[in-house]
Amino acid sequence: MSVVQVSQNEVQAPAEPRESLLLRIVRRLANSRELTLFVLVVLLALAMTIIYPHNFPTGPNMRAVLLNLAPVGILVCGMMLLMIAGTFDLSVGSTLALSGVWAGVVAGWWGWPAEAALAIGVVVGAVAGLINGLIVTRIGINALIATLGTLTIYRSLTYVTAGTGVTPISDDFAEYGRVADPLLRIQSPFWAMLVIVLIGGWLIARTRFFRQFYFVGGNPRAAQLSGIRVDRLILIGFVIMGALAGIAGVLGAARLNSAVVNAGVGIELKVITATVLGGASLKGGEGTVLGGILGVLFIALIENAMIINAVGVFWQGLVVGLVLLFAVSLDRFKTAGRG
Amino acid sequence: MARLQVSNLSKWFPGVRALDDVSMSVEPGEIRALLGENGAGKSTLGKIVAGVYSRTRGEVRLDGAELGEFDEKAAGDLGIGIVHQEGSLVPQLSVAENIFAGRQPTRWLGQVDVRLMREKARALIAQLGVAIDPTMKVTFLSPAQAQIVEIAKALSRDMKLLILDEPTAALTLTETEKLFEIVRRLARDGVSIIYVSHRLAEIFALCDSVTVLKDGRLAGTRKVAETTTDELIRLMVGREVHLSRSASARQTGPIVLEANAVSAPPLVQSASITVRAGEIVCLAGLIGSGRSEFCEAIFGARRRKAGTISVGGAPIDPQGPWDAKHAGIGMVPEDRKTSGLFLGMDLVNNIAATVLSKVSSGANFSNTKAEALAGSFVDELRIATPSVRKIVGELSGGNQQKVLLAKWLAMEPRLLIVDEPTRGVDVGARSEIYRLLRGLAERGVALLVVSSDLPEVLALADRIVVMAEGRTVGELPGEGASEEQVLRLATRFTSSVAEVRKEAVGA
Repeated sequence: MSVVQVSQNEVQAPAEPRESLLLRIVRRLANSRELTLFVLVVLLALAMTIIYPHNFPTGPNMRAVLLNLAPVGILVCGMMLLMIAGTFDLSVGSTLALSGVWAGVVAGWWGWPAEAALAIGVVVGAVAGLINGLIVTRIGINALIATLGTLTIYRSLTYVTAGTGVTPISDDFAEYGRVADPLLRIQSPFWAMLVIVLIGGWLIARTRFFRQFYFVGGNPRAAQLSGIRVDRLILIGFVIMGALAGIAGVLGAARLNSAVVNAGVGIELKVITATVLGGASLKGGEGTVLGGILGVLFIALIENAMIINAVGVFWQGLVVGLVLLFAVSLDRFKTAGRG
Repeated sequence: MARLQVSNLSKWFPGVRALDDVSMSVEPGEIRALLGENGAGKSTLGKIVAGVYSRTRGEVRLDGAELGEFDEKAAGDLGIGIVHQEGSLVPQLSVAENIFAGRQPTRWLGQVDVRLMREKARALIAQLGVAIDPTMKVTFLSPAQAQIVEIAKALSRDMKLLILDEPTAALTLTETEKLFEIVRRLARDGVSIIYVSHRLAEIFALCDSVTVLKDGRLAGTRKVAETTTDELIRLMVGREVHLSRSASARQTGPIVLEANAVSAPPLVQSASITVRAGEIVCLAGLIGSGRSEFCEAIFGARRRKAGTISVGGAPIDPQGPWDAKHAGIGMVPEDRKTSGLFLGMDLVNNIAATVLSKVSSGANFSNTKAEALAGSFVDELRIATPSVRKIVGELSGGNQQKVLLAKWLAMEPRLLIVDEPTRGVDVGARSEIYRLLRGLAERGVALLVVSSDLPEVLALADRIVVMAEGRTVGELPGEGASEEQVLRLATRFTSSVAEVRKEAVGA
């Protein structure tokens, strides 16, 4: 927090007649959530390197951290898009499990090729997202209730489909989740996440099409009256969210060579926490994928610190909850400062 | 002694003097009309007397006693009741519960005595000469029935003074007659009535006397028997300030918009209009006459049930604003904060919202192009802002209005609909906006302007189309038109249309 305070003081300081380039950059970035988070992440990593030199900055630990944050990192891109448009999806954890289980059934029980299983898993996710979007835009049920409903429905469908799950699936299928690069030896889910974050970040920050989501979240009525097709965009947002949950689901199943019916339970909390921490406003119209992924990193580091410290699993929920409250209070602080 | 005596009453809202030094008195059993244009302060006066608003200055006496600070509940205890224009009923609760809201008869341990409450409610409603089941939920009532329940609610306590705020807006002619009977009976029993309305015919039919307000000030009080429609209209509109018309006569081009018998129930029944290139057509009428809704139907923002719309001779069937935009129609909505602007975003994004493809290179949104576009509008419209990256919510009302105009000018519309172009805008910005609209017309844009401000209509319009009760009822040339002429058109048709509507409901 002290870092935030210092940079804000610099902003408010009277302007020097001749300002150095560095100061100008600091001034410009000081109001950005991304920079604040980046500094927090770096400080946290530095602190952990100093406190746990034998546990934290090691290859295996780093690989584990990066691999574990992959599903949340994939989901945060979709959630950020939805929250920019002023909505969200609570059913992502269930969609993830449903997609993984369908990929497992197709590859493991029916013996279809791995590629077909991957594709079907992603399509199942996209369809789940499409259903969410149709409920929200066509029937007009608000996103909280709609996706709370589908959260239990999709989870239930997962149990109905595969009972206790599919284990093992198939070696061909598992290979897609386990292949690692020769240099850093990090497995594919991380690389998939990196590609999605880079492409998603570019799309949302730069393209005309995705720029429309900011208008939808900023003021849906004004967006509608500006000739933006609000409902269609929200529907597309939900489909993208579902497809991303599908990708996270099939990659998770492949890495474990097992489609677990309890996969992704509670992950929506972590994803929304990271999204809000990363600068999404609960009212919509704000946020970037960069911020979201930094939020994911921040949570991953806190969890890693607790694991290294051998703090019990039971405590992790408490910390994640506190981080969410911290993020929301930042949001309120920002609004108050602007008003 | 007068039942109600208000002296030197003033009410200031932030930036607006809604009431300025108004005095009036009402005798027991008198039916007093409160008349004025939209925004003249008549509802504000009613609400202050009923304790809904607190006054800024002045005094209110009931039967000679000064009331001090009081709220709606205290007013009710004193015998002052109000029937609200917009309705104060809870739709999910029953008629009886609404009538006795917060004052239900109770039995031991505070249990509501449901049976007694229903009986009392039934008796109250019967007293008004109608039958409504007190157990029915309000959501299932017709607007007229809801209005009667509102009145029953006010009558559920002993009334000395009853304020009715535009009570007939939702009623048919027969229902209005029934309401008048009830009001007359109450007056015979000694209840004083303040009847807020802008319908002249009703005032002559019902009231003993009339107080006219204009721009928050008292314009005069007359006995109904001793006044005329002409005198009342003069009192309502006669103002000192006249905005000048532009001298130059513009050349108008071919017809750009032709809308024929457009119907979008319930507020638009049958409305037609044509607008030519380079012409400013003003749509005038009272609030609730369906002007904005007609424009929304043209723009595709409201579902159209019948009627045809063509732009430049080609028929269009807009399913949404995007279709109308594609046909070259822009619309600056009435409420810039809720439907016009993205208040949390900067000028660049606000102005770019309608022209995303224009400020993009390929698939990429170009900040450079968007900033250049915003910059050119800041110069052209003289928007006072330190930077194009300023958050729009932080600008003044007049500058926000200019940003809203810029947003639609950016798409270079053939037809621009502007709903209330100068609402909440100061005088300086107002004349600049007029200059701007005239400039657009000179460049050949067809302009359809909705305005509740009659001087504005007279200053801007080449042609004035008047709406009443969802219909276009008349047309005047802008040159030489007077406020009296416009108001007469806007109010003349109210009762006959109510009859038509009743027939439509009955059929």
